Amino acid sequence: MSEIILKTEGLSKQFGSRWAVKDLNLEVHEGEVFGFLGPNGAGKSTTIRMILTLLTPTAGNVRIFGRDVRKERGEILSRVCGIVEKPDFYLFLSAYKNLELLGSLTRRLSRDEIYEALEKVGLKARAQDKVKTFSHGMKQRLGIAQAILTRPDLVILDEPTSGLDPQGMKEVRELVLALSREHGTTIFLSSHLLTEVEAVAKRMAVLNHGQLIAQGEVTELMGGGASYFSISAQPMEKAVGIMRGMPWLEVVSEANAIEVRMDSARASELNRILVTSGVEVSSLAPKRTLEDYFLKITEGASEV
Amino acid sequence: MNLFEIEFQKTFRRWRTYIGFAVILAAVLLIETIIKFNEHQMARNFTGGLGSDFLVSGNILNAWVITGFVMNSLYIHVPFLIALVAGDMISSEATAGTLRFILIRPPSRSRIFTAKFLAMLAYTALLIVFLGALCVGIGLLLFGGGDLIKFQPGIPHIVILPASVAASRTALAFLGAILSMSVVGSLAFLFSTLVDNSIGPIIGSIALVIISFILGNLPFEFTESIRPYLFTTYMGIWQLLLDDPIKWGEVIRYALSLLLYDALFFASAFFFFVRKDIKS
Repeated sequence: MSEIILKTEGLSKQFGSRWAVKDLNLEVHEGEVFGFLGPNGAGKSTTIRMILTLLTPTAGNVRIFGRDVRKERGEILSRVCGIVEKPDFYLFLSAYKNLELLGSLTRRLSRDEIYEALEKVGLKARAQDKVKTFSHGMKQRLGIAQAILTRPDLVILDEPTSGLDPQGMKEVRELVLALSREHGTTIFLSSHLLTEVEAVAKRMAVLNHGQLIAQGEVTELMGGGASYFSISAQPMEKAVGIMRGMPWLEVVSEANAIEVRMDSARASELNRILVTSGVEVSSLAPKRTLEDYFLKITEGASEV
Repeated sequence: MNLFEIEFQKTFRRWRTYIGFAVILAAVLLIETIIKFNEHQMARNFTGGLGSDFLVSGNILNAWVITGFVMNSLYIHVPFLIALVAGDMISSEATAGTLRFILIRPPSRSRIFTAKFLAMLAYTALLIVFLGALCVGIGLLLFGGGDLIKFQPGIPHIVILPASVAASRTALAFLGAILSMSVVGSLAFLFSTLVDNSIGPIIGSIALVIISFILGNLPFEFTESIRPYLFTTYMGIWQLLLDDPIKWGEVIRYALSLLLYDALFFASAFFFFVRKDIKS
């Protein structure tokens, strides 16, 4: 197994009487894209703030590159960077100047390095424009530029696609994958979107109410067991009739599209049966919302 | 770029920073022009009490005298301009959300804090130097030089410094003014670390300066007893530097008191800031 780059041990944070994060044990391996999944308010940002020393943990600790981040802060953080919550910049300064001032806190930077980072996120042409003229999407991309500017070994991105349109989301995901592929950078990415984590991450951890629900390979956590599928088929009544007769499948809803619950492994079998019965299947897709996933995990837990 | 340069650039690339300079420019121009147009009346008023007993001759309304007159704004007006920037040094970054971007970088919080404090001191010093240079510059242009005459409550009621030392004494007085304004700056800076908005620290520090100033000037036994503990008491250090001869013992006592307040405000802010949970 590859080396562990980031490890949290019993990490906890209490605000007043409320535990925002409790006893969190994460392991992020070298070179991987790690998804940190959880609904809004689950404690993702609090965790990231503790990792990056903005918050002092109530209990537990964070180890990066095998060393305690609170004890060897400066040295460790010279190899780590990220975005915490929304990307905020000095609005009265240009994109270039923002990167120059922020990056200089880590190390000396050349003009070319700053332009290169801006080019990677498609903002080179706007380098000298003040950030106050930027759209949310552009700020989000500038946030990624400042995170990768000093070529850190570990990049932490907190909801990097939040507030972006589908095209913007796609671009950010491609950027993340390219960074991981081309530079071998380890990326820790938080998200409340299951599809996003699925699209970019190899391993993931799922957080809810400040507690770890699951951690492991995305394919393992997602695959196997029962999942929800959405099916568009014509004629619909006929398709529903056939499916109701199947013992290994449960029709959950037939309002607009048909929704069923079944073992993911049997999706192609279902498709074949429907088609050979003369039903036209225009789509058969897994429904992957975080809610469904939580339902699945908690069901799994109760079965154990 | 070192940390101080970074903070200095951030401070001096904001429009807000130049409000102070603009206000001083406008105020000094206005005051000195008005005095120029009413020169004779001003000179009469100025020497009114003396004319009957003394023979007044020479250039009474000169650059040094007018500069001394404008320096009285150091008690309330200039502190406001200092607080405008100093009270915003950390809180503006908390409000803007940039604080969390600089505090995830390698430099320790204490170093970033110190760099910000030094940038604040640099602003304070530059603003006072600007005030001094402008007062004297325009004064010399409009009124020319002469003896530095200072009226003050108590004995002696009038201090006259010969023209030969007027420039060096005025420079010394402005150095004292930088020290006294640094206390206002560090107070506003302290407030700036405590909250995540900019208005609070600015209003708060000015309110404290005004209250402390009023308390220190009330002629009661109680206020007499607390006067030594008020930082505003020592803000008048620049007045001591225009005395003849300079009572160096007093100057040193005032300077040390001001430095003590600087250190106290800096240390309180420092210990709060390095331990603070950054939630903004």
